[in-house]
Amino acid sequence: MSLKHMILILCGFYCVMGIMPLFFGDTDYIMNILIMILIWAVVASCWDVIMGFAGIFSFGQVAFYVIGAYSSAILSVSLDIPPVFSIMMAGVITGLFGVLVGLPCLRLAGPYVALVTFAVHMTLVPFLRGPLGRAIGSGGSQGILTIPPIKLFGLAFSSEQLVPFFYLTFSLTIICTLVLVLVIKSYWGTAFLALKDSENFAASLGISAFKYKLMVFALTSFITGLFGALYAHYVGMLSTKMLSMDVFTILMIMMVIGGIGKYPGVVVGAVITVTLSQLLAPLGMYRPLIMGAIVVVLVLFLRDGIISPIIGLLSSRRKVGLVEKSLKVSSKGK
Amino acid sequence: MFLEIIDVFISGLINGSVYALMAVGLTLVYGVTKAFNFAYGSFYNLGGYFAWILLIPLGVIGGYFSVFFIAIPFFFIVGYLLEKVLISPLRKYDDWEMKVMMLTLGLSLFMDFGYQAIFGPRIKSLPGIIEGTAQIGEVVLFQQDIVIFIFSISGMLCFGWVLNNTRTGMAVQAVAQNPAGAQIVGIPKDFIFAATFAISTIMVGFGGILLCQKNFVDPMGSTDIMIKAWVITAFGGMGSIRGSLYAAFILGILEAFVGWYFGMIHVQIATLTLLLVTLAIRPRGLMGRE
Repeated sequence: MSLKHMILILCGFYCVMGIMPLFFGDTDYIMNILIMILIWAVVASCWDVIMGFAGIFSFGQVAFYVIGAYSSAILSVSLDIPPVFSIMMAGVITGLFGVLVGLPCLRLAGPYVALVTFAVHMTLVPFLRGPLGRAIGSGGSQGILTIPPIKLFGLAFSSEQLVPFFYLTFSLTIICTLVLVLVIKSYWGTAFLALKDSENFAASLGISAFKYKLMVFALTSFITGLFGALYAHYVGMLSTKMLSMDVFTILMIMMVIGGIGKYPGVVVGAVITVTLSQLLAPLGMYRPLIMGAIVVVLVLFLRDGIISPIIGLLSSRRKVGLVEKSLKVSSKGK
Repeated sequence: MFLEIIDVFISGLINGSVYALMAVGLTLVYGVTKAFNFAYGSFYNLGGYFAWILLIPLGVIGGYFSVFFIAIPFFFIVGYLLEKVLISPLRKYDDWEMKVMMLTLGLSLFMDFGYQAIFGPRIKSLPGIIEGTAQIGEVVLFQQDIVIFIFSISGMLCFGWVLNNTRTGMAVQAVAQNPAGAQIVGIPKDFIFAATFAISTIMVGFGGILLCQKNFVDPMGSTDIMIKAWVITAFGGMGSIRGSLYAAFILGILEAFVGWYFGMIHVQIATLTLLLVTLAIRPRGLMGRE
């Protein structure tokens, strides 16, 4: 996708999101949805970068998110570290963890990577619930219930006041999105794509698979951990329910709707999916049932996600404009 | 102490035999069609519910013998249709492996919560094939366990015979080795893909019927089974049938000993650690081909 379209779609998204609180600032229900859209959009973008661009079948995205959330919560609850610092530290911890997971994945073929990363996800549940997790302060199956809100310049950002928290998330989201766009459009992004298409050929051109694959693991898990931590301080409580297949599927629907490797697509996917998931929430246990069915149907029928038709529309309009201009020029000439 | 260790070993052996049955089915699908089935655990539960419906509300004549008899065509048809409707349309895309993973993951969620919606969230228990115990020396065995062991071993032998001695079985092997070449010599590739998927569904369905008598039918238990089957196939080497056979027994016994010595909560951590260590040393598993 060209940089122009990417920036156009992202700017449109953030401009609309930025002015939303002016209209819905009083409605907590909608503000909550908006904040979740911002958080999930970045988490899903990270997944798109690692899966769609670097071509690594990482199924550990939710695991990194939860690792970030738990580490920040444990740091701030057990060690009394102020949330601003604990969030940063959680990002670094998750980034290191990402490298740790990435190391064995370097030598593995596609499906094995999916299995190993998913295995990390599956191990987290018994780990956090078991005696080992309780020893480091995960609270066992009950979870952590008293996570302090973020305090910055004497202001408290919590779920009590949603508008300030929204803008905090918003600014962090913009920074991370900029980083991701820069990475995708820089030498790194091209290197990722080259490695995805043919690792041997890329290596022959002097692109180190080792370096770039670890880099993409570190970068995406760092950002994911950061947003996991932000989420932890937003809701104020955590449990291992975050690791359920339900959450994983929601993230996957964002990817399927947005299109894999069609970067700003997942952002649009996040908007649709989070809204849909909130609307379906009253259905209780039928919600995951419907979500599962949606994944099956979308994978079957939505080939490249919904972003391709949008791009097609944007470029065709431009083409029509050019044709009209040239027609005008030619008619003037006559 | 010694007797206890023997008991644990035997229970590991029995679990291992059923895992082997299921893992061989999974590795077959991956070896032949390169499709990555994340809904495998949900088919295990389908086996459990299938047996439950036939035995408890319907009360079929002949008990488990009729269950097994009806299960073969039932799971074959389910597997065949699923492959035809859901997986084969994806083959024309470049990134179809990723799409199959996503689709089957969605399917698994759909099936798990479907069971919960239809049968309720409570676990169901199945009657045993036979009750009673047998005694060899000082070791007491449940007859049920012996039957499970015999069934899964004979199921695997049967499968091995079909694969090596029938025309269909050899066609399956040919497609696994070289799909294009197999098509040139006139093997219907698409049919073989669907048939392989169907056979693996039969195997996991049988695994479900056999193991659910011991462990209950739990609508949310499918991820656990799926992870086990996946760990076994990756540990043994994907696509290698002998590798997954060894891996299933190693894992079954390891699981029994870890569960007995450290407690059940550590079982999953132990199996996954074993997997990670194995893959770090041998990236293609125990017997995987380069």
